[in-house]
Amino acid sequence: MFQFKLVLLGDSSVGKSSIVHRFVKDSFDDFRESTIGAAFLSQTIKIRDTSSDSTEDTVIKFEIWDTAGQERYKSLAPMYYRNANAALVVYDITQQDSLSKAQNWVNELKNKVGDEDLIICLLGNKLDLCDSSDNGDKRAVMTDEAKVYAEEQDLLFYEVSAKTGQGVKDVFQSIGEKLYQIKKEEMLSKKGRQAASAKDSVNVKLQRPSTNDPTSCCY
Amino acid sequence: MLSPERRPSVAERRPHFLSFSSQNGCPLVVPHLAGIEDPLPESTPDKVDVLIVGTGMVESVLAAALSWQGSNVLHIDKNDHYGDTSATMTVDQTKKWVKEVNDGKFSNCYTNAKLYVSAIIGSGDRGFSSRDFGLDLAPKILFAKSDLLSILVKSRVHQYLEFQSLSSFHTYENDSFEKLTNTKQEIFTNQNLPLMTKRNLMKFIKFVLNWEEQPDVWESYAERPICEMLIEKFKLERPQVFELMFSIGLCYNMSAKTPEVLQRIRRYLSSFDVYGPFAVLYSKYGGPGELSQGFCRSAAVGGATYKLNESLASFDPSTKTATFEDGSKVTVSEKLVISPTQAPKYSQNIPEQKYEIHRLTCVVGKSCEEWFSEGESAAVVVFPPGSLKSGNQNVVQAFILGPGSEVCPQETSVWYLSTTEQGPRAEMDLDAALEAMETSIVRESSSDLENDESIVQFGPNGETMINSVKLGQSFKEYIPRERLQFLLKLYYTQYTSTPPFSVVDPSFFDINDENSKKLITGASDNGVLYTAMPSAEISYDEVVTAAKLLYEKIVGSDDDFFDLDFGDDDDVPIHNANYENAIEDDDDDEDNDVDMNFDVNRQGTTELVGEMEI
Repeated sequence: MFQFKLVLLGDSSVGKSSIVHRFVKDSFDDFRESTIGAAFLSQTIKIRDTSSDSTEDTVIKFEIWDTAGQERYKSLAPMYYRNANAALVVYDITQQDSLSKAQNWVNELKNKVGDEDLIICLLGNKLDLCDSSDNGDKRAVMTDEAKVYAEEQDLLFYEVSAKTGQGVKDVFQSIGEKLYQIKKEEMLSKKGRQAASAKDSVNVKLQRPSTNDPTSCCY
Repeated sequence: MLSPERRPSVAERRPHFLSFSSQNGCPLVVPHLAGIEDPLPESTPDKVDVLIVGTGMVESVLAAALSWQGSNVLHIDKNDHYGDTSATMTVDQTKKWVKEVNDGKFSNCYTNAKLYVSAIIGSGDRGFSSRDFGLDLAPKILFAKSDLLSILVKSRVHQYLEFQSLSSFHTYENDSFEKLTNTKQEIFTNQNLPLMTKRNLMKFIKFVLNWEEQPDVWESYAERPICEMLIEKFKLERPQVFELMFSIGLCYNMSAKTPEVLQRIRRYLSSFDVYGPFAVLYSKYGGPGELSQGFCRSAAVGGATYKLNESLASFDPSTKTATFEDGSKVTVSEKLVISPTQAPKYSQNIPEQKYEIHRLTCVVGKSCEEWFSEGESAAVVVFPPGSLKSGNQNVVQAFILGPGSEVCPQETSVWYLSTTEQGPRAEMDLDAALEAMETSIVRESSSDLENDESIVQFGPNGETMINSVKLGQSFKEYIPRERLQFLLKLYYTQYTSTPPFSVVDPSFFDINDENSKKLITGASDNGVLYTAMPSAEISYDEVVTAAKLLYEKIVGSDDDFFDLDFGDDDDVPIHNANYENAIEDDDDDEDNDVDMNFDVNRQGTTELVGEMEI
């Protein structure tokens, strides 16, 4: 299993949280592992590696960080961005200036996260309010406009509806596949120089104190 | 005052969030995360229960505690970053802060800031950037058995953070660094210790683990410096006394009283072996600045509103109205809590900050791994009274972080020095300690020494024992050929209302009580509750005490302080731990991971005593 940190970005009320909630609480009945604590939401997906003969799926666990409203007054902490593997930058396709605000978030993100492997996905939400015959089309941002921008900036791009669930699963699936590819390449190139990383300082996990086992604590 | 209608606690609120949980009959346990699930208010709230100004460590823990308890919290900071007095800053932020100090913006809290930054930082190609560094204004270490650590776990804030161990404590003596002998094994294998001393030391360690129950041993020394007891009662010698008082106990001077020192020595010993063979941890990427961010995020998830770049202009206790610099207002139904550094203009109630802490922070062009234990990236060096050229009467404490802590790039390290010495002597002591460290690291890392058998000790199998190298005596005249490169040097004086060895006094929070009717005409801060500046204490020990006192003042009791139950079993150690292997599936990782199964009810102290027996 692989674990990745995914952060949400975008202005208030574009539906960031709804997208994640749709993803976390919905439709993955066959592999349900949604532990939800105060820390972050998590959800797993399965990836089939088409390049290998293995019939076993790889499990990818997303650790999803919501802004918890801290983006409202531009008060997101550096901790939020740190070590993120992927980011969802969400805008509202029924709001005219929403895309340009999302573009600011993309710039902010590229500024804050140095990692070139960061996967950014531009996400237009509220697709359910568009192309509907009875209610009238509320679309204010054209698909092409966002698509051109996403291509320029090398972003993944989707339009989804958190309300109906349309497209939401695909977003996470494709991010998961891309992250898996990156991870695989990284591990292949790493094999040769594993010795070097052994020297790194070790992290201590606070929820797990050691036993008093004399063989484990004394050198 | 406590309102008769208590706000519901997290546990009391649970039925509400259970109601939306099951669409498909699966009993999902999803806590209600106000900050994530509720629609955000369109504008700044016009009424809150508590307004907190400043995002330092104590304020952030308080904000999280209150918002999980059910209070409606607005938390602001006048800076564009989190942390206030506990901030972790980049080099650019440090420059700005120094300018503010010297412009007299926090005359009560900081003075006399001097900063040198090498041109290598920020020079673009091949240099370092400002962001490569995370410099703490009030660096802290975390004891493995402490109030803050249990709150980090309970609140799950630890999941936002990464921690590493720190087992290297050095005492500087006779111009050399002695590594602390802090385990049973080390005491017995240390060949420099005479048998008698070993025995006496073990006797003392057994005593100190439950010293309170043996008043006959220490009571007659209660009002006297502890060294008298250590020498008379336990027949310990000077090096051991110094180690116990200054490395293990982290005391500031010789006059430390017996009970408080015993307490501090036990703090170290009972923290030892909780997570492994070390007593102390620190957080990666920065200390209290990181923890503050973590608690603020937790508070936000619990429903608190965050606003940086906002400062308080005044508070009117009669209408309970707080006015901000941008003209907006908010009604505060319970309390306004504020850090002294963020006091509004025309404040007249800021508590007196009587005590000085002198701090010297350096970034040097060496990783200093000579001082670290294997697999670690940090060390503490203590300079006891009289050990320095300056004839210091108070201890200088140095906390060193290497690149593995991610607060600085490869081939560099950050040195935090501090002393409780008052007045101009303090800077001389800091300079002397810095010089001693510089000399030591230059010669310990110098390649010229490697072939000189007279000064390098070899282990039984012929391996070089870097950490036990005793260079001092024989190399007093050694003149470093290599000079240490300083990338940054920051000196400043910080003030605090908390005397050395103390934690904040409950009466401190009554000074400016709105019920005291002692309102000063024209003051902009009548009735606000000031927090205390960080004390000289190098550990986080005061933080929870201070946050709890404030919480009690606001809520009426501290019974439900972080009384959290998230309703799922994430706290329970997962067996087989897929989690660890999740990021890297490399086999080698498992062996390194410091994490073992855990028996929650383990009584650390008694077992430790048992283990100490020969």
